[in-house]
Amino acid sequence: MKKIVIASLVAGSALFLNAGDFDAQANKDRKALQEYFEKKFESIKNANIYFPYTPKEELEKNIIWGIKGDDFRLGSYAYNKNGKEQYEEMKEMPPYEDAIDAGKELYEKKFKNGKSFKDCFPDPAIKGEYPKFDNNKKEVVTLSMAINACLKANGEKPWKVTKSKMTDLHAYFAAVSKEKGKKVHIVIDSKEAQEAYERGKKAYYSQRGYLQLSCANCHVQGAGKRVRNEYLSPLFGATTHFPVYRLAWQGLGTLEKRIKGCEKNQGENPHKPGSKWQNEMIYFMSYMSNGLPVDGPDIRK
Amino acid sequence: MKKITIITAIASLSFASAGLVEDAVKLDVKKVCDVKANGLEKVIAVAEKYNPEAIKLGVEFKRLGIKNREYIKYTKEAIKAKKKETVIKYKKKGKEQTKKFATDFAAWRACTFAVRSLQLHAESQKTWRMAVPGDGFKY
Repeated sequence: MKKIVIASLVAGSALFLNAGDFDAQANKDRKALQEYFEKKFESIKNANIYFPYTPKEELEKNIIWGIKGDDFRLGSYAYNKNGKEQYEEMKEMPPYEDAIDAGKELYEKKFKNGKSFKDCFPDPAIKGEYPKFDNNKKEVVTLSMAINACLKANGEKPWKVTKSKMTDLHAYFAAVSKEKGKKVHIVIDSKEAQEAYERGKKAYYSQRGYLQLSCANCHVQGAGKRVRNEYLSPLFGATTHFPVYRLAWQGLGTLEKRIKGCEKNQGENPHKPGSKWQNEMIYFMSYMSNGLPVDGPDIRK
Repeated sequence: MKKITIITAIASLSFASAGLVEDAVKLDVKKVCDVKANGLEKVIAVAEKYNPEAIKLGVEFKRLGIKNREYIKYTKEAIKAKKKETVIKYKKKGKEQTKKFATDFAAWRACTFAVRSLQLHAESQKTWRMAVPGDGFKY
């Protein structure tokens, strides 16, 4: 009898642990990533480990040391001294303000059926909550997908994930989320969600394209290293500031658009923005920024 | 019965898929894609054999805005027409573009891209964890 009780207790607690434990590995990954970046930028004393090819003078002159946690929401400007100065100057007259206003208009504009985005998203401060995993459809739902689902449900045509209407609405959601002090809060609450996260992680760390580069080559191991005149940005905090106004684009763009560009740079035919592959990667990347403040829209070179 | 047929078909497709990657891993790219040693037809046939698998796996290579399937298509046309120059048509930001390559070179590129994309796919299945902090990446 005693044995049966013990066995039942063990089985019960295992079940209980499993039910709430779907994000255990993801949480471990996120902590390890943060620890890596904080150690990397802790002090110039560790430079021989993390920046073996960078001259000491350059590291002294151009890198900001001792950065932690929330600092990484700024991407490479967290540690790029010159870049940060230029960034702060650009922020005095942000080129994305019009997009926020345009996004607000889109949010309030009535559909043909008299409803609006307000009916789908009563609180616009939702930027940090996406992507979500839909346990009924068994798929990752990005903010772009949720926006398009709202349009379809109201008899409207969906928008292209990389086009201006979509980025404008993203910009508005991000701005309101930032204003309300929202943080990135991605949830992994089922086995299927956990599997989607793992696939996204694998995709992120796998080498691809004729240049044999993984995303991590540049944004984990490579973060803080200089390519031509630019410092590579970190994975930790990478999703907090989207959509971004990129000088290279001369406009605002979503994370989907940026990932497509990265894949192209790796020498691979990029996956379609909004594809399952890309959505799962965004799910992984966003989880890595869990707990950081939403900081978009923002400017990047 | 229908179900069994479908399951068998799917299973054989998966085996075929795994087979192509395994085949590609065993190849010496320099040898199989050597135009001088093998001739244009054989080299482009290698590209044609392996690239569809790269497309299916989402690992097709692309360079200078040109997908490998486009290198293959236009190189085949040039070989058929016995032209020494391959003109590749492709789209960049929605606009039609063209680029010219020596047919020998285009065939070599199409072949190496097709084989290497599958080889890299196989390699990455084993190596990706080595880059994950808290997992295989030590610092």
